[in-house]
Amino acid sequence: MKDAGLSVEMRPKMVGSRVKRTEDPRLLSGTGQYVDDLHPAEMVHVAIVRSDQPHALIRDIRADAALDVPGLIGVYDFTDLEGEVSPAIPSSRMRNYYATPIWPLARGKVRFVGEAVVAVVATSRYAAEDAAGLIEIDYDPLPFASDPADAACHDAPLLHEEAGTNVIISREFQHGDIDEILHTAPVVVKGRFRMTRKSASAMECRSYLAQWDKRSRAITFHTSSNIPGIVRDVLSSSLGLPGHRLRVIAPEVGGSFGGKGSLYAEEILVCALARKLERPVKYVSDRLEELSSCSQAFDEWMDAQLAVDEQGHFLGLKADVIGDIGAYSIYPWTGALEPVQVISFMPGPYRVEHYHGRVRGVLTPKPATGPYRGVGRPSSTFAMERLVDMAARKLGMDPAEIRRRNLIRDEEFPYRTAPGIIWDKSAFQECLAAACDGADYTAMRAWQEEARAQGRWVGIGFASYAELTGIGSRIAVAPGMPINTGTETSTIRIDSTGAITADFGIASHGQGLETTLAQVVADELGCAFEDVRVRQGDSEVAPQSTGTYASRSAVLAGGAATKSSRVLKAKVLRAAAMLLDVSEEDLEANGGVIRSRSSNAVLTFREVADAVYNRMGAIPHDKREDLVSTETYDPYLGTACSSTHLCMVEVDLQTFGVTIHRYFVAEDCGRIINPMIVDGQVHGAVAQGVGAALLEEIHYGTDGQLQTGSFVDYLLPLASNMPDIGIAHVEAELPNNLGGFRGMGEGGTIGAPAAIANAISDALSPLGVEIETLPATPDRLFRLVTAKTQEISSQEGNKK
Amino acid sequence: MKPAPFAYVAATSVQHAIEALAAAGGDGKIIAGGQSLMPMLNFRLVRPSVLVDINRIPGLDRIEDTGKMLRIGALVRHRLTASDPLIAHHVPVLHEAMNHVAHHTVRNRGTFCGSLCHADPAAEMPMMALLLDAVVEITGPAGTRHLPVREFLVASLTTDLAPDELVTAVEIAKPAPGTGWGFAEFARRHGDYALACVAALVESRDGAACNVRIAAMGIGDTALRLSAAEAALEGSGFSDEEITRAVSALRDEIEPMSDLSGSADYRRHLAGELARNVLGEAWRRAAPEVPA
Repeated sequence: MKDAGLSVEMRPKMVGSRVKRTEDPRLLSGTGQYVDDLHPAEMVHVAIVRSDQPHALIRDIRADAALDVPGLIGVYDFTDLEGEVSPAIPSSRMRNYYATPIWPLARGKVRFVGEAVVAVVATSRYAAEDAAGLIEIDYDPLPFASDPADAACHDAPLLHEEAGTNVIISREFQHGDIDEILHTAPVVVKGRFRMTRKSASAMECRSYLAQWDKRSRAITFHTSSNIPGIVRDVLSSSLGLPGHRLRVIAPEVGGSFGGKGSLYAEEILVCALARKLERPVKYVSDRLEELSSCSQAFDEWMDAQLAVDEQGHFLGLKADVIGDIGAYSIYPWTGALEPVQVISFMPGPYRVEHYHGRVRGVLTPKPATGPYRGVGRPSSTFAMERLVDMAARKLGMDPAEIRRRNLIRDEEFPYRTAPGIIWDKSAFQECLAAACDGADYTAMRAWQEEARAQGRWVGIGFASYAELTGIGSRIAVAPGMPINTGTETSTIRIDSTGAITADFGIASHGQGLETTLAQVVADELGCAFEDVRVRQGDSEVAPQSTGTYASRSAVLAGGAATKSSRVLKAKVLRAAAMLLDVSEEDLEANGGVIRSRSSNAVLTFREVADAVYNRMGAIPHDKREDLVSTETYDPYLGTACSSTHLCMVEVDLQTFGVTIHRYFVAEDCGRIINPMIVDGQVHGAVAQGVGAALLEEIHYGTDGQLQTGSFVDYLLPLASNMPDIGIAHVEAELPNNLGGFRGMGEGGTIGAPAAIANAISDALSPLGVEIETLPATPDRLFRLVTAKTQEISSQEGNKK
Repeated sequence: MKPAPFAYVAATSVQHAIEALAAAGGDGKIIAGGQSLMPMLNFRLVRPSVLVDINRIPGLDRIEDTGKMLRIGALVRHRLTASDPLIAHHVPVLHEAMNHVAHHTVRNRGTFCGSLCHADPAAEMPMMALLLDAVVEITGPAGTRHLPVREFLVASLTTDLAPDELVTAVEIAKPAPGTGWGFAEFARRHGDYALACVAALVESRDGAACNVRIAAMGIGDTALRLSAAEAALEGSGFSDEEITRAVSALRDEIEPMSDLSGSADYRRHLAGELARNVLGEAWRRAAPEVPA
């Protein structure tokens, strides 16, 4: 509405349009360039010998047989890199935390199956793998506790002796007196919720290429990362190279979903080897390595209780969470990122006055857990939304009604949650209403009744949640992390040919940011969308940046784009005013054309650039300024993105397979830059959530071995698993940041597991089955139903 | 994930392939579609010294009607089996089964005979070959032999094929006209290896079932013929009670394994439920005049 006062020509045109992604022509025609598409001369390949032991001392490494393989360049273990690199330390100001150092190769001890032990370098990946297969490693196996509850015991074998414990993270949030509430509340529901371990499983596996330039003694490192700036900064200290001798580029990146959002030991390794060998060194992880050494997700046990009164008002919540964080604390987020967010977001978008959340992050011999789309909230929302439905069922209340009574209302914003998260005004209530309207909740219930009358197991599930997005410098994205995640910088320049280049530190890996940021620049600068080239994912184009993660790029980079576009526009108009001999206030710019309101005289951006740069004297010499601007944006606080998911599922009576009949998402992401991209993010994230709800589970045996080492056993959702997804965009009030954007790339993964779990529980409610573990596989459902059926029939037997 | 080094022979005739296998001294491997072999090579689970490619051998890529039999050549892709009018007409149960075989990319390359030789306990081809009492045509240095598929399939991923032999075709006897059939499979995702799969054939003679054939997979070390359940139904009228008895015979005679995808109890339950559906369906097709 605030645009209403502007002239028609000045109204934003690109933001809000369904602009086709400018990335797509190259990506869809196979001309995109990923790390593995780069083949510099003299390049060598790395294969990695990984630990087959969950916890063991390395006694001996024998590589003699490997040395005869044709094409072999060298075999390296940690001793070969001593003194050449220092470890990455995922430090934090958190109390009760131990930061496990990250070295490029295991140093004398391995801590999970899949940990990198030996690097084999050869002229081809084939030769490298041939040689790797001939390397023998003798281990002295050590005892270990694979189950986090066992590993948390005081007498458990320690993975990192220096830590003195496997419990390297513990945190509590307390507000009010929850024990008293639980004691006196009319209704208390509880569950032991389990969100199992997942793999982010991006289509492109992690890929790295380091090139050593002898002339400048510098490294150019191409990495399939979504945090190239963070990687640059940590490698700078690990390798002892200043930033101007260390350029980190994330070229096309084939998805991350969080899995490429942390530093990996292999990134240090590849750079160290390139410097050592003075040759380009490439490492491309294969799918087995990806499933056994890329960061993993979730893996929490959540004991949670919700107290409510007879009218369904929430009185208090208690949660005790164990997070299995794997063998290392991940850089830079630390192992606290995921489990601490579980308890800091557990109360969700609801009014919950009394709260006690406790979490322990426990080391076990598995790959480190790290960011995964949704971080923490897929788990916390699963637990909370299940409790909400259990409470509604106990009270005989409609699940939509109990949410309506507890979702924070308009007049309560800004609302500070018990753990201290501040929700700015967002469409919490409106999304619930929009989901019910959009999906026709009344008709869904009628359909369900009909199906139930035929003996079918059909159920309906809600999930309402809010996430904190676009977080500024008030708090670090991960607890206590000493890295600035609160700012982003943009440099926009118009060069002497009139071309407009917009540089950002963020790193798009599928989000279409080259398109959306160009939309913002076009509107704010008044240039043509087609004339803007966005450069990103390159540490050389911004002095500092942390990248694209945590639903921040639209808010932070969008804000930076807005700021620097405005400064640059003022420069352009100042020059144009001199050229046209009118006042700056008389000028407006739109679509690359600057027009004088009074005289109708026009100049193009290109003509202005030509005058400024090429035509000496066109601008008075003491008034001339380069058409460049660099601005940094810090939204300081974050902004809430809220949503309600609503779905209907059917459980097959014979096979226990789950079919999703209907799926609807209502969400508030503030001002929409590109509706097509927003819809795509919702579709993709819901698909990922469907995987978490029904299919995906990383399994480790009690022997510490990975049992899901390929996509035959780790099941990702297929197109045939996906329902049609209805979407309603609700805009409550624009958030108080530049542009009015909220981050929205993660939400679907947060809502879908909870909504599906609630729908399955509703479908099986005649039997009293409550879903507490995801994924809800046919086997799990069979066992739950069989147990309940036996319970019911034995009760009936007792009555007789 | 790259294969270990191997020599490669592009055979131009069956004889050429046999000679190449013989020259490999027991360490050769035939490649046709490669849909199971290539992943095993890349995981280095198999490391043959010679890979004998039969894709260029003429004449193996067709399905032929030899009168009583249909002959499926060694290079017949799943795509062809799924769309072939002879199969659809004479062996509709196989036509139906093909809908559950993997995805298009796999079907375009994978072969019926290759899948049979791989002998995966949760793949459709070994089970369908068992159901249909197929005969395997095997060519080796000593000439050609014919082996019933029951004897060909020895154990999980193991067949009677000698290292110097090649399966050149599979022959399937056309079921008698009017044979009823049913097929049901359940996998966690369409195209995956089955959690359980059951198929049945039955003929009706004056309302009495004869030549009852029931096969299953995903519930044991190998694809199975379920003889106890077959015997329970032979001569019966396929009443609900008789089907229920057969289903419990089936549940008793199988020994499913527990793995990541499902417990033994679940698989036993699932196999029984699928069998119940499949038997009813087969009987309705065999005896359409009898109300189900």
